[in-house]
Amino acid sequence: MKKYISLLAAAGLAASPLLAQDAEWETEGLSDDAITIGVMGPFSGNASSYSKALIGMMAYYDKVNEEGGVHGRKLVAVQEDTACDSAKGLAAAKKLISQDEVFMLQGNSCSGVALALRPTIEEAGLPWIVAHAVSDSISDPLAANIFHGVPTGGANGRAMAAFVLSKPDTSNVAIIEHSNDWAHSYSNPAREYLEENGVAPSLELTMERGQTDATAQVLKLRQEKPDFIIAALYEAETAIFLRDLKKYGMGDIPVMGTAGTDLENTLKRTGDFDTVKNYYVIHSYVDNLDGPLMQPWGEMIHKYYPDEELSTFSFVSIGSAEALVSALEAVGPELTRSKLMAALEEVRDFDTGILSDPISWTADDHQGVKGSAVAGFVDGEPTVLKAWGQPY
Amino acid sequence: MSQIMPSARQRKMRTLLFWAVPAVLLLLPLATNPYTQFIANGMLVSVLVTLGFTLTIGNLGQLAFANTAFFGIGAYSSAILAAKLGVPWLLTIPLAGAFGALGGFLASAAALRGIRTYYLAIITLAFGELMRWAYLHAKPLTGGTDGMPMPRETLLGISLTDDTLKFYIFLAVTVLLVKATLNLMRSHFGRAVMAVRENEIATASLAIPTARVILATFMWSGFVVGCAGALFARHVGHVFPESFGMLHLIASFAMVLVGGLGSVLGAVLGAVLLTALPEYLRAFPGMEELFFGLIVAGVLVAMPMGLASLLRRVSPIFVERFYREAP
Repeated sequence: MKKYISLLAAAGLAASPLLAQDAEWETEGLSDDAITIGVMGPFSGNASSYSKALIGMMAYYDKVNEEGGVHGRKLVAVQEDTACDSAKGLAAAKKLISQDEVFMLQGNSCSGVALALRPTIEEAGLPWIVAHAVSDSISDPLAANIFHGVPTGGANGRAMAAFVLSKPDTSNVAIIEHSNDWAHSYSNPAREYLEENGVAPSLELTMERGQTDATAQVLKLRQEKPDFIIAALYEAETAIFLRDLKKYGMGDIPVMGTAGTDLENTLKRTGDFDTVKNYYVIHSYVDNLDGPLMQPWGEMIHKYYPDEELSTFSFVSIGSAEALVSALEAVGPELTRSKLMAALEEVRDFDTGILSDPISWTADDHQGVKGSAVAGFVDGEPTVLKAWGQPY
Repeated sequence: MSQIMPSARQRKMRTLLFWAVPAVLLLLPLATNPYTQFIANGMLVSVLVTLGFTLTIGNLGQLAFANTAFFGIGAYSSAILAAKLGVPWLLTIPLAGAFGALGGFLASAAALRGIRTYYLAIITLAFGELMRWAYLHAKPLTGGTDGMPMPRETLLGISLTDDTLKFYIFLAVTVLLVKATLNLMRSHFGRAVMAVRENEIATASLAIPTARVILATFMWSGFVVGCAGALFARHVGHVFPESFGMLHLIASFAMVLVGGLGSVLGAVLGAVLLTALPEYLRAFPGMEELFFGLIVAGVLVAMPMGLASLLRRVSPIFVERFYREAP
């Protein structure tokens, strides 16, 4: 017996540095009064406008800090630039993990960069909440430490199709899209959803980026006379498509667009309300950007970032920041990385008050937001809709 | 500009220095963390890219910008061979070089038809954009906009995601290719390359097959940069079309100019400086691009012949044999 006890003691002694190392890793980036969070985004380069997507999250951290933090700890953001470039993004991630030794990561625009980061961050094991990039492959297949806090491309695609089918008597649906993966990330899940519900797209058309005329596509649509058109097009091409649709007398056919377009901007581009009166877009929020439900969030951002010009992007990361704070509060003062990840997996139907759909993370599914609302003009006013004819 | 050529003793010192630098670098992982190691690995990739670029633009004197195309060809070849055919990544390095050389062969076609200066620049730029279009649209092969992830692989039981292991492989490949290029440029062929740059007609009158010289230089440049592409694919672990656009080309061009056009030493210095600089400038968020631009402009104003010219002034051991500063 003594022999076994000695052996166990020896094994325990040998393992103690490893255990100490594990304990050290669990609380890396934590102090009695701060939780350091690595925030990566494209702060320079061609895609730097996407960095606006992190402003809401940063403002929310500031708000929480002003209210005393979480269990006495302030949320301290360490920002690093990815420039929307995979090599620079990897350097940023490695710096945050190994040099700045942050407790966790949150943020990231640019799906390509996030995809490139995934193996490194998965290997490092610290919690990472993706707060803007939408590619489903970032969080699927499941990685224990990667959580998606915004609707993915797949969720948005399904939401588009669900809205289309919510219009009574819709059976003839056409799809027009760019021939790139961005468009496919919306159209493929939308197509799957339609087919699951017994509606096969009657016509599938392509409109390439940079195309300045959609006559050929519109004439084909005129022959098919669809009940609804799903358009996975960028904003400039959307405006051209809607203009030509009206030109050929088909302006009454409703068109469902992606989250990559915005009602007001599309109206500005076409300069003609009649072209957009039947245009609907994915809108992840509970209200219009200038609506009463969004107003407190806009005020929060302006309190900490007075010069921020609010756009759709400015609000996108707030929901995941709220879910994080909720999980941190649930863990209590004895915070570790493992405890936080376990708490994140317990987040269920979390109403953020800003995202149209709740956040739910489980042990088997880290894609937290499963749907989106839709925005369209109702009686000439931009309105957020749950389904056809049903205001949010 | 006339230069004092190194003596036999100084040339020996230079050889010693050439091997001493990588020998010292072998100890580098002892002083780095995963972040700084990653940056060091990126520098080695950039050295090869810049080296290949300076060969065509500096040594051969052709205004050719197909360099980024060779880089993309190398990276995608490596990723496709490794991910789709299961070829071990180490073996994909020379194969990616061979595909890069093939790219060099294609890019040289315009030069061989007597197209020069700005016209060659536009054609080679178009070649680069055409390749990027291919990466985007050949989705079954390249993964389209989602890119190509490199498969997980181990070497001697160590994962190839390990930056230290990658560093030793990158260092070996870089030293090998830099040495080979130096030897090539010191050879009869290297003299022919520079003769073509100085006066193509006069060179042809000496019975030097200028077309073959141009073709071979483009191909060697493609090989070097193609190998760099294979290293890059493993370096970032996921190859995307955006990595091979105009921004990369401009960055590589800046490395060539800051280091010193047509100088192997300059390629190394330019690549190291301009890969490290943006990382130092992370400390100035929002100002990185401004500072980067100012520093590059400052170096070029102070040293129009690049950093290598500064070292040549310090000691003749840094004078490259048969090197003459590009006009």
